Amino acid sequence: MFLSFFSDLFNQDFMLRALIAGILLGIIAPLIGSIVVIRRLSFIADTLGHFSLVGISISFFLTYTFGWTVFSLRPQYLAIVFSVIGGLLIELFRRYYRNYKEIAMAIVISLGAAASAIFFSLSKKTGSLYNYLFGSILTVTDYYVVLIAITSLVVFLLFGLFGRQIISVSFEETNAKFFGINLGVFQLVFIIVLSVVVSILLESVGVLLSSAMMIIPIAAAMKIGWSYRSTTIIAILFSELSVFLGLWIAYSFNIPSGAAIVSVNIIILVIVSVIKRIMIKRTLKKTPEIANFDVGE
Amino acid sequence: MQIDINNLCFAYMHKLVINNLSFSLSRGDFLVIRGKNGSGKSTLVKCLLGINPVKNGMIFFDHEDIVGFKKWTIMGYVPQKFEDFNYEYPITVKEFLSVSRLRQTKDSHVLKLLDKMGILEIQNDNINSLSGGQLQRVFIVRAMLNNPRLLILDEPTASIDKKNVLYFRETVNQLHEEGVTVILISHDESLANLNYTHVLSMSSDFSFSFQSRENAELTPGVNE
Ligand SMILES: Nc1ncnc2c1ncn2[C@@H]1O[C@H](COP(=O)(O)OP(=O)(O)OP(=O)(O)O)[C@@H](O)[C@H]1O
Ligand SMILES: [Mg+2]
Repeated sequence: MFLSFFSDLFNQDFMLRALIAGILLGIIAPLIGSIVVIRRLSFIADTLGHFSLVGISISFFLTYTFGWTVFSLRPQYLAIVFSVIGGLLIELFRRYYRNYKEIAMAIVISLGAAASAIFFSLSKKTGSLYNYLFGSILTVTDYYVVLIAITSLVVFLLFGLFGRQIISVSFEETNAKFFGINLGVFQLVFIIVLSVVVSILLESVGVLLSSAMMIIPIAAAMKIGWSYRSTTIIAILFSELSVFLGLWIAYSFNIPSGAAIVSVNIIILVIVSVIKRIMIKRTLKKTPEIANFDVGE
Repeated sequence: MQIDINNLCFAYMHKLVINNLSFSLSRGDFLVIRGKNGSGKSTLVKCLLGINPVKNGMIFFDHEDIVGFKKWTIMGYVPQKFEDFNYEYPITVKEFLSVSRLRQTKDSHVLKLLDKMGILEIQNDNINSLSGGQLQRVFIVRAMLNNPRLLILDEPTASIDKKNVLYFRETVNQLHEEGVTVILISHDESLANLNYTHVLSMSSDFSFSFQSRENAELTPGVNE
């Protein structure tokens, strides 16, 4: 089974596309995810996923009612547009409800869920909803791969040129200006980039699991990382591992790719946590004088 | 840096904290702010730093109005509390300082400051594993990192032990000698080993006294 998977990986066009898409997503998802985690915005990705789904449902709706096939051929257009709109809405509400930032997400997420359900059913396309909820990386098009490549390039450029500022302002916003950082610009650029990445993830990992793809590798890496750099590198390794294994599982057992990838991610998280526990117990046994104290992680 | 504050008033919602405060500092002055809890010391420096928006009164830096002021990188600030700092994500002291660095700040300068504050040996430790006093010293180093012309320190030594407070005071004195304008909020009874030039005493009834060091030392009770 594993052998035929490997030969298909390089002989079948659709597998090659899935592989390239997976490798790129495996890098940018945790890269953006680390910033999402530091800024405590884990729910934002979920919210944006729902909002890009609105874009996809409206694409189908426009095709169904007006016969504008361009939208159903390229649902990514409106997915990105709506994701960015959702992101800007969240940023707006977050400023309005300063002390209750999660209210912003609740409003936007329910708006997104309701609107996409309405447009999917109006366009008689509820069947394809399933694909967008859980993703199907094995059926992505060339066009989509190009889109991922461009997005990845932009993300790499941003981190390459402004990595220092991005990390600094993520850890602490109030004092950003003393280090030459324009907080407003950062927030705006970040929410737009995040929105685009989420809407791109939508097609291969699905609405319900795109935030998991960004956050779970980070959660596992945080348990063993000893610095920002090591944590990020470990997270990317975990993420790539789960993309490969997930792709294989999705291919072999005909399971939605998002579900397969995220399941592997979760298994990695569990294994890392267990190993860490055991290691802590070991060190305690070697130093019996502190064995009776509770040790935090 | 020259600082002029004219008739500054500040209120949170409807709670007036600063009423008609005026004073001036010249380049290289060293101001110590004293006063009881809640007298408005932190509020005042947050106005100076543009964190609290000033609506009544005026503040000038080298005759430049704080409204529209952009050159914030010439200031270094150690807040009293770090309200929105994320302590959970792994980042080492060295990494944290390196992302806070402006392009022109050299690595060797960072190491020198770490050494002065006695925390060179923890440079590869995780921020989230530091003690309160170590963390405070990391933030002091961060405020001094980019060669600020104005250094504002809000009770920076509250949880630092005696020996390290001494190191800190030596470092601040040295910066002051190099021409940096320093504003230090201090609860400490003793201002020993601090080469301050002015004292601002604030009290909760909005009255304040701004004096040169010589006058402050002549006036009994002003240091309470
Ligand atoms: N963000 C805020 N919102 C509303 N009121 C505030 C806020 N910050 C401070 N205050 C109030 O303003 C007054 C002055 O507070 P401030 O923090 O400036 O005092 P302080 O002199 O620095 O005190 P301490 O010595 O305890 O640090 C206090 O009565 C406080 O309750
Ligand atoms: Mg205070």
